[in-house]
Amino acid sequence: MQLSAVSGSFLAIGCIPTSDGKEVVRNLSNNSDYTLNQFIKIGTDGLVTLFTHRPEMGQGTFQSMPMILAEELEVDIDKVKIEQSPANRELFGSQMVVGSRSVQSEYHTLRKMGAAAREILIVAAAKQWNISKKECFAENTMVKQYNSDKKIGYGALVKAASKLTAPENPTLKNPQDFKVIGKPIYRQDIPLKTNGEAIFGLDMKVEGMFHASVERSPVFLGKIISFNKEEVLKVPGVKYVIKAKRHVWGNEREGIAVVADTYWAALKGRKALKVEWDNKGLDEVNSEGIFEKYRTNVTKAGDVLYQVGKVDELLEESENILEAVYEVPYQSHVPLEPMNAIVHVEENRVTYWGATQNPNGVRDQLSRQLDIASENVEVNYTFMGGGFGRRSMTDMVEEAADIAKKIKAPVKVVWTREDDQTQGPFRACQVNALRGVLGDEGDVTALEHKVIAQQITNQTGKNMKAGRQLMGGVNTDYKIPNFAIKGVLQKSHIPITYWRAVYHSTNPFAHESFIDELAYKAGKDPLEFRLGMMQHHSKFTTVLNLVAEKARWYDKPTTGTAKGVALAERSGGYFAMICEVKQEGDKIKPVKITTAIDLGICINPDTVKAQTEGAVVMGLTAMYNGLTIKKGAVVEQNFDTYPLLRYDECPEIETFIVKSTDDPAGAGETGLPTVAPAFTNAVFALTGKRIRKLPISKNDLVAG
Amino acid sequence: MASVTFDLNGKSVQLDNVDLEMPLLWALREDLGLTGTKFGCGIAQCGVCTVHVEGNPVRSCVYPISAIAGKKVTTIEGLSENNDHPVQKAWIEGQVPQCGYCQSGQIMTTAALLKNKPNASDKEIENAMRSVYCRCGTYPRIKKAIAKLVKK
Repeated sequence: MQLSAVSGSFLAIGCIPTSDGKEVVRNLSNNSDYTLNQFIKIGTDGLVTLFTHRPEMGQGTFQSMPMILAEELEVDIDKVKIEQSPANRELFGSQMVVGSRSVQSEYHTLRKMGAAAREILIVAAAKQWNISKKECFAENTMVKQYNSDKKIGYGALVKAASKLTAPENPTLKNPQDFKVIGKPIYRQDIPLKTNGEAIFGLDMKVEGMFHASVERSPVFLGKIISFNKEEVLKVPGVKYVIKAKRHVWGNEREGIAVVADTYWAALKGRKALKVEWDNKGLDEVNSEGIFEKYRTNVTKAGDVLYQVGKVDELLEESENILEAVYEVPYQSHVPLEPMNAIVHVEENRVTYWGATQNPNGVRDQLSRQLDIASENVEVNYTFMGGGFGRRSMTDMVEEAADIAKKIKAPVKVVWTREDDQTQGPFRACQVNALRGVLGDEGDVTALEHKVIAQQITNQTGKNMKAGRQLMGGVNTDYKIPNFAIKGVLQKSHIPITYWRAVYHSTNPFAHESFIDELAYKAGKDPLEFRLGMMQHHSKFTTVLNLVAEKARWYDKPTTGTAKGVALAERSGGYFAMICEVKQEGDKIKPVKITTAIDLGICINPDTVKAQTEGAVVMGLTAMYNGLTIKKGAVVEQNFDTYPLLRYDECPEIETFIVKSTDDPAGAGETGLPTVAPAFTNAVFALTGKRIRKLPISKNDLVAG
Repeated sequence: MASVTFDLNGKSVQLDNVDLEMPLLWALREDLGLTGTKFGCGIAQCGVCTVHVEGNPVRSCVYPISAIAGKKVTTIEGLSENNDHPVQKAWIEGQVPQCGYCQSGQIMTTAALLKNKPNASDKEIENAMRSVYCRCGTYPRIKKAIAKLVKK
């Protein structure tokens, strides 16, 4: 990003993170740092550039964050230029895109910056006209005077405004007056994605770079004993055959990099590579063994993660206990753009190009690994061909840097699909055990939800205490007088990490299935049963009633169809989903998925709907599919054995947004937690068969 | 190693000293600088690498350079001059892409289908479109966009 540095030639408004974690709005036009630290730039020609400081992986922050600035700034979002900011934590604070946090965490900061710029421009105009600023207002990239024809474009005010101090507490607009926020505005990044113009990490090319493909131990922690370096070097185009390493959650992972003139030559070289691995007995590990151990651990007391009332006593006393155990497998993230990174290490300087959810994490990684001051680490991040959590890790960058340093030249490492599928880290596999007690009125008097799983934040070391992370997605809003969530921590050398919706992608399957089981046992309508326990919760009540209406829950089902319901909260958003299934021949398929969501104010409701559609599709794939471990390695190495949901398998998806002016919740994972339980609850309604294990086996979906 | 000449987006191109086993995908992306065609799986399962050869959709990740000599290849970059092919326009109108990575494959597959069968049936659309994955889940929007393009 190159910007003119002539003072007074533009107005630049930025926001400096302070040491106590707060942010202060500043007029940076005369600050020597302004080219790096700004969110709004207005040129004397009136051109408005809004900077977006969070990477784009499909979730739409590329435009939804600038939309917030544009709202307060009173500019037409279709006419502004959006530019991606560089990676710099000192200037921008967090730039990581995880947990659907971008918009919700910076809604107020961005509004404040937009409003500060608007106020400066108004003050500049008022001075010029020699009237009170109260007589002026901003509209459509202009300052105007009330009850007059007087108006002046922002561009003409830049010189004067650039010398003014930004107000600390500018007046924010009343959400009722919003013109940009809440409108389904076309995304500026979309036309770039219809003609091949959008640049992803995989598309980057730098002068003099080599290409590398890396053979890594399929058994995760395998160590290299030997490899046929000389033979591989004979493959045309191959230049180096060297060891490369990276760390995943503290564990060193070895590989052999085949470095060549072209990627194809690197792949051919890799085909000729023969490696002898020391797998340290880890090639005995398989999925059956893992689940057997997890199932055994159901009987362990576990650590109490959440508790109200006296669950243990009630379970001890009651005779009428309903119990069920649910299972979900490891999953891989499968962004369609495979992992990649270009790194160039020079004397006391390093440059990165690639697709990352974590630009500052990349900067920290390279600085630490190469012992280079972070100001000499340049991070160039691109659009991502999906992330889903995998790109919050920096292991692929570490490995590329290791190779680049050794060959003393820039290198582009591109993972194959098989590498992505088999190396992890994965979404955790789990066993969830639930026990519930129904009172005389058919109400739930006690519920225990036990989560047996690995924990992302505690994967190595000896601490075996389960943390609250494990209870993610277990709904604590149901009014149940005695309720406990317990965790039995599992450890494994198989690495896990954040995957779209994280534990909200696993626990709600068990929880919402079990609520359904209790409803049937109580002889109640599953949706009414949930409403009964959510009377105190207006958001859940609203979305449940809305989805019931939109999906015609109370209509008599036509022959061969049935509906299931599920609800969940994620990243501050509340949603309820109804899945309609239909028997076609002897197969049962989801035909329509309806979701009602309350995410507070939606910056771009069309983007929110798109995110929900996507989350539903990803949830469906995870329902039909999973990873298995055999002889220590992942069995499903590519799409022939790990198919994603295809076009013709996608049901109709409808999403309804509850109108709200509350602060925005996260939108990127809405809908994913409820897909599997809404579907399996519908299958139960149709067939009486309760599916408690994912992936769903083909036999589960044969009617009759 | 050999030399191969073919027609790329209306222009004749020649690749010298090229490995004939190399898939077309890597020639397009690395030798010819057209990165709009993406790499997804390398085994013709995901369809994000779809280009047209003689007007038909093919998976460039498994299409060897040896088979391309003298043929006519169209990539996303050659579909239209100004991003205004009817399929591209429908994609923008329907706000289809999310991450966008698979969309060249989706658009090229749709363009080939509708050129060959302007009034394709739902079944024919399903058969064509099931060849391209979208991990972001844009299928419902693709379906709506295609519905607007199909001649009734």
